[in-house]
Amino acid sequence: MIRFIARRVVSLALTLVVASAIIFLALEVVPGDPASIMLGVNAQPDTIAALKEELGLNVSRPARYFNWVAGMLHGDFGISYTYRTPVRDMIADRILISLPLAVYALLLSTAIAFPAGILAATRRGAVADVSIMGSTQLGIAIPNFWFAIILVAVFAIKLQWFPAGGFPGWQDGFIGGIKALTLPAVALALPQASILARVMRSSLLDTLGEDYIRTARAKGLTTRQSLWRHALRNALIPVLTIIGLQFSFLLAGAIIVENVFYLPGLGRLIFQGITQRDLIVVESVVMLLVFAVVMVTFIVDVAYAAVDPRLRKR
Amino acid sequence: MHNRRNLYIGVILCAMVLLAALVSFFWTPYNVTELNIAEKFKSPGMPYLLGTDHFGRDILSMLMVGARMSIAVALIAVGIGILFGVPLGLFAAARANTLVEEVIMRGNDLVFAFPALLIAIMITAVFGPGAVNAIIAIGIFNIPVFARLSRAAALSLWQRDFVLSARVSGKSGLRISVEHILPNLLNLLLVQGTIQFSLGVLAEAALSYVGLGAQPPVPSWGRMLAESQTFFSIASHVVIFPGLAIVLTVLGLNLLGDGLRDYFDPRLRQSSWNSTS
Amino acid sequence: MPLLTVTDLKVAINGEPILRDIDLSVDSGKVLGIVGESGSGKSLTAYSIMRLLPAGSTASGRISFAGKSLFSLSEAAMCKVRGRDIGMIFQEPMTALNPLRTIGDQIAETIKIHTDANRDQVRRLLLDTLRRVELPPEQFPPSRYPHELSGGQRQRVVIAMAIALRPRLLIADEPTTALDVTTQAQILKLLRRLVDEDGLGLMLISHDLAVVANTADEIAVMKNGVVLDAGTPKRIFSGDSHPYATELLEASTHVPAIVSRAAEKSDVNGNGNAPLLEVKGLVREYKLPRDNIFARSKSFRAVDNVSFTLQHGENLGLVGESGCGKSTLTRAILGLEVLQGGSVRLNGQQVLFGERRGLAPRHSMQAVFQDPFGSFNPRHKVAKLIAEPLYAAPQKLNRIEQRSAVAQVIERVGLRSQDGEKYIHEFSGGQRQRIAIARALISRPALIILDEAVSALDVSVRAKVLDLLVELSAEFDIAYLFISHDLSVVRSVTERVLVMKNGRIVEQGMTGTVFNSPQHPYTAELVNSVPVLGYSVR
Repeated sequence: MIRFIARRVVSLALTLVVASAIIFLALEVVPGDPASIMLGVNAQPDTIAALKEELGLNVSRPARYFNWVAGMLHGDFGISYTYRTPVRDMIADRILISLPLAVYALLLSTAIAFPAGILAATRRGAVADVSIMGSTQLGIAIPNFWFAIILVAVFAIKLQWFPAGGFPGWQDGFIGGIKALTLPAVALALPQASILARVMRSSLLDTLGEDYIRTARAKGLTTRQSLWRHALRNALIPVLTIIGLQFSFLLAGAIIVENVFYLPGLGRLIFQGITQRDLIVVESVVMLLVFAVVMVTFIVDVAYAAVDPRLRKR
Repeated sequence: MHNRRNLYIGVILCAMVLLAALVSFFWTPYNVTELNIAEKFKSPGMPYLLGTDHFGRDILSMLMVGARMSIAVALIAVGIGILFGVPLGLFAAARANTLVEEVIMRGNDLVFAFPALLIAIMITAVFGPGAVNAIIAIGIFNIPVFARLSRAAALSLWQRDFVLSARVSGKSGLRISVEHILPNLLNLLLVQGTIQFSLGVLAEAALSYVGLGAQPPVPSWGRMLAESQTFFSIASHVVIFPGLAIVLTVLGLNLLGDGLRDYFDPRLRQSSWNSTS
Repeated sequence: MPLLTVTDLKVAINGEPILRDIDLSVDSGKVLGIVGESGSGKSLTAYSIMRLLPAGSTASGRISFAGKSLFSLSEAAMCKVRGRDIGMIFQEPMTALNPLRTIGDQIAETIKIHTDANRDQVRRLLLDTLRRVELPPEQFPPSRYPHELSGGQRQRVVIAMAIALRPRLLIADEPTTALDVTTQAQILKLLRRLVDEDGLGLMLISHDLAVVANTADEIAVMKNGVVLDAGTPKRIFSGDSHPYATELLEASTHVPAIVSRAAEKSDVNGNGNAPLLEVKGLVREYKLPRDNIFARSKSFRAVDNVSFTLQHGENLGLVGESGCGKSTLTRAILGLEVLQGGSVRLNGQQVLFGERRGLAPRHSMQAVFQDPFGSFNPRHKVAKLIAEPLYAAPQKLNRIEQRSAVAQVIERVGLRSQDGEKYIHEFSGGQRQRIAIARALISRPALIILDEAVSALDVSVRAKVLDLLVELSAEFDIAYLFISHDLSVVRSVTERVLVMKNGRIVEQGMTGTVFNSPQHPYTAELVNSVPVLGYSVR
């Protein structure tokens, strides 16, 4: 088990190194020098040089890469070209919206998908199965931002149950925050729940066809007992993979849905960074999201080993 | 037959979208670049079948032209995925347990660490928004999908005795990949291609919704939604119809993919064990 | 009164009748053997008794077990019968256990769902059951997971689950088919012991006449969903039984007429005793994953210093159990493995690993593999598949020559030349093996390696394919390297035999001598494990 984790950690570190290099190089090729862009066309050469110094741009490219990476390891993401404030503070505020949103959506999606998938698998071919499968087919096809617009129109503007957008901030109470995140989370969760329910169903159906389920039935277990005691845990293995993948989709999807709801999260920050050519912000947020995705993949891998004794040995 | 139902509905929906896109090259009910403020927010009916938007443009015409963009972006992106991904996957499988395989697969994992949207955002940040950059972003994301799929399928095919027979005949790994492995992957690629196509349509819509896709005045479904969302309470049809267009296209492609999978399912087609000589 | 009586059992799947008018009975302390080829309905009969038929099936008739009519029980009541009164074991021990739960947990489950035993009682019964199936808990603690056990050990765990509560009837569906012959002998002995000690009734289902003949007190012969004949082994094998039973017995003990040409051949050639195939000191090692980065990498010798020769026109057998290295050796001879030592020479030419090198020796050496379904690319027409070995031909044939060469071999193996235009899924298992032989034949090889080539076939089909092989050998002067786990088949077709264990050849010699008076203890164990049909039609 320790060997297994150690190997995963090494591959995780490698991925992060390569990913950071790619992000850095990609944004390096952007024409123009941030200091001159920030100060405008009429800036004096010595002012530009001073700003370059302040931003740490006056050193060679490799040195800048190492400074960037080393800074991030200390939690220092550099200084925003536009606002002249530490990127770290900007990210810290935004992450308190984006992360709860992704987690909220993931919980919602799992809470919907598990019962739906299990029900569909156990009632294969029956009305429940056909209608669940039909709705998931539709759920996958609905773009989350369109669903979000409709949710706003119905639940915020017409019924006024939830705010139409914006975020009051956690300091004004937990309930207000959750209320503001509910519609975005629902919009994000719907397609993911549909996918997850389908995976859950097909994985469970595969497992129910396994020889050991027949063995369990021959022991005297009822259909229901063999489902709960033998099929479910085995069926969970592919489902775990999908949950891991979904987290990255949710983070990315959040970028778009945040736009619909005017939520000041990481997604809005990225767009702001792009429109203002504030590349250090884009760079840092992208790196942060990649880090999150890689971490989740790692956690899923370790969770695999916890579920499956065959993997622990390797 | 029950199994074919998905296939038929999928084919019909996809054919409708394709037809609309093709017809739009020769004819649309109204000119989509002409603004006519006097006719704005007309309700669906006659003479505007699906109504008009805030500039008085005919929504049906815009949807028809927008379909071109959706199809083109998604199709080319799937093409990129297959063109690069499948050879990579086949090569990795033919060189299983070597450094080459390890490098290809780790490279795939790396791309997977960037959700498609992030790739698009980075490309946009560097080269600016546009349909071509959207295609590249979605295409890059498709490469590891096809590489993984074809490697996994090819690895299991390499275990089959018919590959062993081909090796006994002295054929090289490359030749076996082309002659024996690839033909057995076609069904799988067709099914996955359909599914990636539908994801491509969704991704294109999302990118153009946030302004990273096709730029004005080229109509695209995502941007139609972005421009019209504030008018929902005035004229809901301006939001409903572009969304429905996306839903029906994606639904059609998914049903087509599912239908194809059922159709190709070897478990349904395999002949049974009979041992009369 | 019998423990179990099946009367007039009829089963249909999706309306299609599969079983018709089955009548059977099993007594306590007795073994009923059911034999039949694939598709005879023997497994379905077992599932009908357990009432675990696949979805879409309908069953009618009467099954009375210990005075109860099983068909009239509710599903809940039937669940109480399964595992407590009737146990069942299956063919494939590798997949019959839940991989995520310990063996102790899975055996204890049988006890827990049927009794109110407390923890200590469950534990005691569990350990006791493990001992009864000869898995001493000291060596096989209940905390083991299935993947830590071998196939035979897993089958014992499955048996333990079935007999933990001392049921009165045990149904064993091909319990040893997936196991090696020595393991098979042990499992059969265990089952017989349980019958004798506990007085349980055993229904033993097998395709292997010899397995059933040696274990059963009564035998029922099934074909196409009907019981053709039933009675004591003595009567069934007396020749006074249903013609199909006799046919099955004949096919199982079939010995093709062998014309030994090895001796005469070397004289004709005049080049002394130059062997066709010469394997010298062959070593194939695999690197094992290292325990940690500091440990020296270990390796596993799949083939360990193997040397032997094969003469022109000779039939050489190679026997050994799974994992002994015989498949690796086959691939090494065919030039498909990198060797760590030794050499393979065919007609004096060295066979080299690598795709471009040494096509010439490969052309005169072909192979037929076990799986009649996996051996062919389903996307190509049969004619194209058969022509594949011509790729290595020193002179390329043109289209017309190739077509006539293909037609010739197709007809020679007993199919029609039009069959070349079909795809492989249109053929039966036996026909596919004939096509595989045609493919091997087309390059006019001097040697064909038959790697378990008849193992997947039913006995009647197998007998015909063996006859064909022997005919071809005589007609085209082909030598065979006949690799199999099935000693009786090897015995019936080869002149000389090699016995392989743990990557080494432990014994070799004339087939009759080796099998009749084995020198190496392993050979002796192997030979003694083979169930022998003591009955012969002749």
